[in-house]
Amino acid sequence: MTAPADERPVDAAMLSAWLDHELDPAERARVDAWLREHPADAETVRRWAADRDALAAALQPQLAEPVPERLQRLVREHRADDGRRAAWRRVAMLAVFAAGGAFGASLMWALQRQAAPAAQLVHAPSGAPFAATSAAPEGWVQRAALAHRVYVPEIRHPVEVNVAEGPEGARAAQEQHLQRWLTKRVDVPVPLFDLSAQGFELVGGRLLPDEPDRPCAMLMYQHRDGQRVTVYLRKASTGVPAEFRYEREGDVGLFYWVEGRTGYALAGNLGREQLLALAQAIYAQQQGRR
Amino acid sequence: MSRTPGVEAPTAFRQQLLEAIPRLRRYARTLTYDPASADDLVQTALERALAHWHQFDQGRDIVVWLVGIAHHAFVDERRRHGRLQVVDPAELHEAHDALRGEPAPDLALRIDLVDALERLSVEHRELLLLAGVEQFSYAECAQALGIPIGTVMSRLSRARAALRALLDGTAQAGARSLRRVV
Repeated sequence: MTAPADERPVDAAMLSAWLDHELDPAERARVDAWLREHPADAETVRRWAADRDALAAALQPQLAEPVPERLQRLVREHRADDGRRAAWRRVAMLAVFAAGGAFGASLMWALQRQAAPAAQLVHAPSGAPFAATSAAPEGWVQRAALAHRVYVPEIRHPVEVNVAEGPEGARAAQEQHLQRWLTKRVDVPVPLFDLSAQGFELVGGRLLPDEPDRPCAMLMYQHRDGQRVTVYLRKASTGVPAEFRYEREGDVGLFYWVEGRTGYALAGNLGREQLLALAQAIYAQQQGRR
Repeated sequence: MSRTPGVEAPTAFRQQLLEAIPRLRRYARTLTYDPASADDLVQTALERALAHWHQFDQGRDIVVWLVGIAHHAFVDERRRHGRLQVVDPAELHEAHDALRGEPAPDLALRIDLVDALERLSVEHRELLLLAGVEQFSYAECAQALGIPIGTVMSRLSRARAALRALLDGTAQAGARSLRRVV
């Protein structure tokens, strides 16, 4: 041992390292000797050891907690190309939005054919819009179209939380309340998309049943001329391949896609290009985009 | 076993991940007390681990690797959102103490372990868990947290002193922990 090391006082860091058996044999021997000569330090180290044991005991029960289902599912079902596929989709969607118009439309149809077989929208019996329980995207979009038909004609109760209700100054508070409520219940971020550039103003929103323990959020927007569109958000199932789709059911057009952990759908009695502009605005305002 | 990126993570690796989740969750909760946020952090860490499974050297301890990923993700998240979203209980306590006026080092004032933990900084709390409870070596702590071993050593001793001071009731608001043992 060199002289300077011998003369170095044993400080708290060394005592701590001694407790963790991180000192080399020579240093350890030196601290052993020190502790014999300095009972106060020896007492401190004993207390540190006791605190460590108490901490271990206090945190032990956490190891016995059952692992949440979503984490188990993630580990079991994760697929290697999830990240790359997401990147491809984003590029494809941006190409569609950038092109716009008729060219964009033909791109969209080409994308749709490359994806899974075309969905068949089937009219469910009226009065039972939520009878379908299919987890497939097609089933959900079907239900979105039906919800659109049910709620858009409502005059007095189109939504559950109406941001325009109440005194003028309360609108911001109502909006905040709406966003927090839906975000919490659906368990994905629900931004209140700003569609004013397309002439649409937020009316409000509601919660809709979808699958067991997985409700979906609906936002309703209204144009100056009275036209309404609805936007749906829900937590996407893991392992569901994301698709960008456009469908038409009678006079209701629908866009739907999955980004990250959220499934989005937009429904409106509008022409394809008008709906596309809205979908573009929504897509740009998604949260959690990387 | 193929190690090509893009090939699925093998079953054995996934099983290792599943077994590591409880300890990973426990670590995440030392970073952010809200259990939901902790599980979000765990989810992010698992996603990254699955995406980079081919980079994991099977000779290593997978929990050390996962803790490193989770720590990195936590730091990223914190940097992105500033201090608005991550509520650090220690900060809350400091604010309260400041409001109450000068601290009273009342030796009779004892607080329990859980309360004391909340009052520590994140850096201190996570080291007490990793070195003390998980029994990571200093080298493993250094690797997981991306800091030098010397820093692990000094920071850990300060964490122990800080915890002891809180439990003794001798801690003062904003006071540094003991530098030198008398």
